[in-house]
Amino acid sequence: MRKRTLVVLIGSAVVAAAAVMATLGTAGTTKTHYKIFLLPKATGIPVFTQNGNGAKKAGKELGDLVTYNGPTTVSGSAQVPFINNAVRQGYNAIVISTPDANAVAPALKRAAARGVKIISYDGDTARDARTIFVAPSTNSLIGQYEVQWMGAQIKYKGQIAILSANATSANQNTWITFMKQELRKPKYKDMELVKIAYGNDDPTISAQQTQALLQSYPNLKGIISPTTVGIQAAAQELKQEGKCGKVQLTGLGLPNDMRKYVKAGCTTKFGLWNESNLGYLAAYVAHNVLDGKLNGSLGQSFKAGTLGSFKVAKVDGNSPVVVLGPPLVFTPQNIDKYHF
Amino acid sequence: MKALAGRVLVRWETLLVLAIIAVGIWSATLSPFFLTRANLLDLVTPYVFVGLMAFGLTFVVITGEIDISICSTLAASIVCFAQIFAAGVNVWAAALIGLCIAGGLGLVNGLLVGVLNLPSLAVTLGTLAAYSGLAFVVLSGEGVATFPESFTKYGGGYLAGNELPIALLVMLAFALGLGIVLHGTRFGRYLYAIGSNREAARLSGIPVTRVRVTVFVISGLMAGIAGLVYVGYFGSARADAASTSLLDVVTAVVLGGVGIFGGTGSMPGVLLALILVAEVRSGMQLANLSGQLQNIVIGVLLLVAIVAGNLISAARAGSRPAKLHRRRKGVRANARADTQVIADSNP
Amino acid sequence: MIAHVRAMKPQELAAAAFRLREIGIVLALFVVIVFFGSRATNFLSVSNWQDIAQNVSIVVVVAVGETMVVLTRNIDLSVGSIVGLCGYLTAATLAHHPGLPIEVAALVAVAAGLGLGLVNGFLVAVARIPAIIATLATLAIYRGIDAEITGGKNITASQLPDHFLSLAGSKPLGFPALAWIALGVSILGAATLRFVPWARDFYAVGSNPDAARFAGIPAGRRIIIAFALSGSLAGLGGFLFASRFPTLDSGAANGFELTVITAVVIGGVNVFGGSGSILGVVLGAVLVATIADGFTLMRLDEFWKIFFNGFAIVAAVTIDALVTRRLQEALRRRRAALLVPPAAEAKA
Repeated sequence: MRKRTLVVLIGSAVVAAAAVMATLGTAGTTKTHYKIFLLPKATGIPVFTQNGNGAKKAGKELGDLVTYNGPTTVSGSAQVPFINNAVRQGYNAIVISTPDANAVAPALKRAAARGVKIISYDGDTARDARTIFVAPSTNSLIGQYEVQWMGAQIKYKGQIAILSANATSANQNTWITFMKQELRKPKYKDMELVKIAYGNDDPTISAQQTQALLQSYPNLKGIISPTTVGIQAAAQELKQEGKCGKVQLTGLGLPNDMRKYVKAGCTTKFGLWNESNLGYLAAYVAHNVLDGKLNGSLGQSFKAGTLGSFKVAKVDGNSPVVVLGPPLVFTPQNIDKYHF
Repeated sequence: MKALAGRVLVRWETLLVLAIIAVGIWSATLSPFFLTRANLLDLVTPYVFVGLMAFGLTFVVITGEIDISICSTLAASIVCFAQIFAAGVNVWAAALIGLCIAGGLGLVNGLLVGVLNLPSLAVTLGTLAAYSGLAFVVLSGEGVATFPESFTKYGGGYLAGNELPIALLVMLAFALGLGIVLHGTRFGRYLYAIGSNREAARLSGIPVTRVRVTVFVISGLMAGIAGLVYVGYFGSARADAASTSLLDVVTAVVLGGVGIFGGTGSMPGVLLALILVAEVRSGMQLANLSGQLQNIVIGVLLLVAIVAGNLISAARAGSRPAKLHRRRKGVRANARADTQVIADSNP
Repeated sequence: MIAHVRAMKPQELAAAAFRLREIGIVLALFVVIVFFGSRATNFLSVSNWQDIAQNVSIVVVVAVGETMVVLTRNIDLSVGSIVGLCGYLTAATLAHHPGLPIEVAALVAVAAGLGLGLVNGFLVAVARIPAIIATLATLAIYRGIDAEITGGKNITASQLPDHFLSLAGSKPLGFPALAWIALGVSILGAATLRFVPWARDFYAVGSNPDAARFAGIPAGRRIIIAFALSGSLAGLGGFLFASRFPTLDSGAANGFELTVITAVVIGGVNVFGGSGSILGVVLGAVLVATIADGFTLMRLDEFWKIFFNGFAIVAAVTIDALVTRRLQEALRRRRAALLVPPAAEAKA
């Protein structure tokens, strides 16, 4: 009796469900403006929040709806449900920065097959999974500058290490490639890159990795950290261990985060770009792609609101790319001028 | 006891169906995109791997044990699979090897718990960490993401005009198959017997040790299969795969009416519970609520499920609540006449 | 030697087994130090040992609390989330009131942890939810609350007052401040378990909850206290965590419970309740941290650390169970020999 009741229950539930399915259709979408989904590597990281704010500002100017949401930890797989979600909710474009170029590619391609436009920014995806990549700056410049800054700080002599984010991150790996290229130049012949550590853009892990670097390489002269989470954690760790000035630090960092450490002498030069502008630009690119004005062909140009005109080009072997501009350089002299 | 369990179960599954409908109505109010065919069919797809693990875990819990190492087993087996595949082996052969590894990891658990009689919580706590570490050693922080479409479609592909997820069919097939094993074979009956009273089961001729080892192997294998679906859906194999999914798996099992002390539970219940969990998460996702907030809801759901189960059992048992404390599974399994016995003999 | 062992009273046998475990850990520690000392650069330096002491201090503080819970035959998986949540509360309090003395911030963290621990205790003792399930759920719930409070932002070191940040770096008498605190907590914990009556009850409740009840011990209340202590110490751990890793987001201390439980299990606390010592736990934590440090200095792939942790738990549990079994067999034989076996005896 029990089993039969069970089977009847389940059976009727299935029939009911099938009946409901059959009567449903797909949701209609009335487009008075575009719906753009901004998907960062993780929502807890300040630079991404700033990207989001910039994109929302662009959305207001353009009359588009910009939604900013993503996973709480940095992981490519964790972004997949958001991609699928955005498709189901009828978003016209997904603007994504990913720490794992390959992990999100299948989901993005599925989304593209359903008519959603994919634009990548900051952390690029696989090339065939997006229409255009919006780069914060020229990757070669970013790599070269950081090595130059480090070289100047340690007088071009000694062991250095890199504290990166995720091992699968496309932008990190590209910058590191350019750094290694720069290091091959003769003027850096007395500098040795001893290790690349991965902090996964997690403040605790980055701090622990820094401590491990200091422990296992007692002669370390400098750390390059091309990630805002990493450089901040490394600076705090150096300060805690009393090593500021003895071990030099440079990389990409937020001026507000790093101001204290600049004044304490932990770093004398580092860089970044205006994160809000990056999000702003990415939203404009998405809008123009949706308008049909940009389709990924090289040479096309467009106007991005208050930022001016931009052209789609092939940059450092990657294409099609829109570049925001050269990196901003922060020093003790100008650090108080920036407030982000 | 069985009649009691029977009555409780039928009630429970009805509750689940009602809950699914109720949550559906609530989700529909949260977002206009919920009640579309594409969405409803796709509801469970991101959680199929959770469901497969839950099916395997059900076998273990019914015998009165627990296996919290399943997520790590999934991770370890898929990274091995990925590395073997990346080395040039055919994807299906590599998947088979990955499954064997998953089964082997389950076997380790089974031997430690079934043969050496170690407490399953402690053992699987250790293997949770060990297998996770193993996964990282094999694949470190990177990921392999170059799997062919012929393989990934089982996890992430769609039929019928891009709307019917193949993963859903995979899950239903396993639910059916495992359900038949659990409810229709002698082996399945052994599980309930061992879970209710291990010593009595042993005395009545059931090969207790062999069965206990086997359920852990099943649990491991299901984690391996879940892993293959996971790779298909997410498109990549990483060492930290499924590391946060234990909550969902345990919730699906407990919410499915499987008694945490063993001896009761049904596969349809777990399937329904999994659908409910997936529905709750999907609904919240559509409303753009963060994953952490979703976890709070699932956590509360888990607690409510146990308390509700306790209350129902208590109401059915009559006057005062049965003392549902865990039997000491140590040196000797103790004969337990019924759930009212208080004394726990132990050295 | 066998005759000597045969002649020991049951209690002495149990105590001897204890000391054996602690001696075993010390021996293992010695072997590890010799091994890494000869192969890893910088291993035997003062600064390295200061680092080890500092790294282990947070684990020890939380492990003392976890021990209380495990002694009662329960487990607390939510300590990682409590550390993260209370750490964030500490930082948030100090970020908004920079003039506050750090002791007040510590009190806030401990109070919050106490509350969270009480919820755990209630769920296990009153709602009768098995500890593994209850704390698995609260692990997620507390972490979710943490994420909601942070609102997707984080607190960076630049927002925190200097007198707080300097705590982690200070080394009074050459021993890191955090390690001093951990030492104090350990001594307090050990003393409590030894001398305070309701704490001694943890052992009774863990080895035989029903017999304990029959003996008049309010097991439910004791379990609630154990979880409350675990929560409070995890709260304190959160305060220390914030001082050591001052940039906190909602993911802080993710997975920390595993490190803590490793220390507890390796330290000889029986997962089945009823036996274990703080000294063992401290030694266990130090052993694990030392090996991790050695791996780092040998520049080994750090993922071996995670694997080793897990392997160590399995090994420790296996050894424990086998040894305990031998002990129980011995005790059983002793008791049978000592007592005239009455038919009414509920034991054995």
